[in-house]
Amino acid sequence: MIKARHEGEIRTITGNAAAAYGAMLCRPDVVALYPITPQTEVVEQLSQFSSSGLLDAEMVEVEGENSAMNIVSAATMAGGRVFTATSSWGLAFMYDALLQASGLRAPVVMVNVNREMPGILAVSSGQQDMIATRDSGWIQIIAEDCQEILDLLIMAYRLAEDFEIQLPVMVNYDGFYLSYLSEGVNIPAREDVDAFLAPLKDQPERPKLVPGGPLACATHGIGEGFVELRYKHSAAMERAKRKFDQIDQLFGDFFGRSYGGQIEAYRMEDAEIALVTSGSASGTAKTVIDSKRGEGIKVGLVKLRMFRPFPRETLTEVLGGRKAIGVIDRSVCFGWNCGPIYMELRSLSPEIGLVPMLSFIDGLAGLDITRAHVESMIEKVHAASQGNPYQRVTWVNLEG
Amino acid sequence: MVEFKIFTKNEGAWSNADELLLCLNTGSWRSERPVMDRKKCNYCGLCALFCPTQCMTNMEDHFLPNLDYCKGCGTCAKECPKKVIRMVSEGEFHDQGKA
Repeated sequence: MIKARHEGEIRTITGNAAAAYGAMLCRPDVVALYPITPQTEVVEQLSQFSSSGLLDAEMVEVEGENSAMNIVSAATMAGGRVFTATSSWGLAFMYDALLQASGLRAPVVMVNVNREMPGILAVSSGQQDMIATRDSGWIQIIAEDCQEILDLLIMAYRLAEDFEIQLPVMVNYDGFYLSYLSEGVNIPAREDVDAFLAPLKDQPERPKLVPGGPLACATHGIGEGFVELRYKHSAAMERAKRKFDQIDQLFGDFFGRSYGGQIEAYRMEDAEIALVTSGSASGTAKTVIDSKRGEGIKVGLVKLRMFRPFPRETLTEVLGGRKAIGVIDRSVCFGWNCGPIYMELRSLSPEIGLVPMLSFIDGLAGLDITRAHVESMIEKVHAASQGNPYQRVTWVNLEG
Repeated sequence: MVEFKIFTKNEGAWSNADELLLCLNTGSWRSERPVMDRKKCNYCGLCALFCPTQCMTNMEDHFLPNLDYCKGCGTCAKECPKKVIRMVSEGEFHDQGKA
């Protein structure tokens, strides 16, 4: 088994800087970025890496996010490794290009710093942007802390460019909470990242456009040819789940940090009730779970690390047989009046059992998901597990 | 794993100009077909030149449309200087679109 040869260098950096370091270490050929709060620092950092010679990439200064996505997905068609980053309105502005990238099976790696969506001006945290693109055919993964951001970037390239996957990957992390949070991050040595990504070169080559080559892309879109490509896309999404687990394990063996793959299960072994979270609030939830355990409530946590593809099998396995489940969503599923992750989890009810499931909409527009909030959620889920009547959806900030 | 009638071995929508990937029988779109009076045809070739699907077949002394691909647009009939080509409703034929 190969292992990293260096220990890495620990530096106190922000989540945005961690994303920029992660991207830089993977040696992208083409980087196209447009700044938007709270992602701007990623652009600044990468520009700095480029000017100081640490990053040898074609840096494209674009007039907007739509161009950024079109440029990077086109660059993958020529065989390039690419990177871009955006947030919220920027993600919305590249929506058509987002679909184009996944339809092309372009292995784009993009950071999306989660921020609330337009309509109500909110320069604040929330996952509504990611949720709004859930059916865009992208792989969507979510980080909890700054170290995980950097590590997920490296794993994202292994996933996106895997010959069996060939899909764009969106690495999400909470804007403001993580984008500007400084903490100690282990930055791996360049040669170790090179070694970790090296197996990507030993696989069959993807088709690519070369001058004079008789090849076209984005073709045969009529009838059964279209259906075949959609089926292949969907099949690749299914394969991405196990592949992500495997990459997480390989990463753990190599760098000594492993996160559990599609989900992280925390104190779930003997848990009677479970809380499902994603992103930066998971840390708070773990702390509260520890204290509730002290009070004798057997509660565990499932942190969703992969939202697309949805980890159906793994969630069924870990949540099956629990007495009640609470889901915290930092976004809203309009039309269902609940949280989107809750709504998707409800589709698994036949598999995990028809137990009480409670939706908690909390932390919209950067409001804190506090310890008190999580305590009250656990108490509600616990009461429901005892057979008491329960409220299906709670807008936590309105109801306390 | 489902077995396909495979259009492409690739994961993405790639096509190589040296390989036939997709053949679409546009003849099924037709509601009218061109009918030639070959005795009047002077073999000038304007119908073949203007045909958008390039489905006019050179028969050495006249032209005939390949009905697998003829969409029935009527361009040939419009362009023919000798008025040799008539557009006839598909309802008049019982050959399922074959010439």
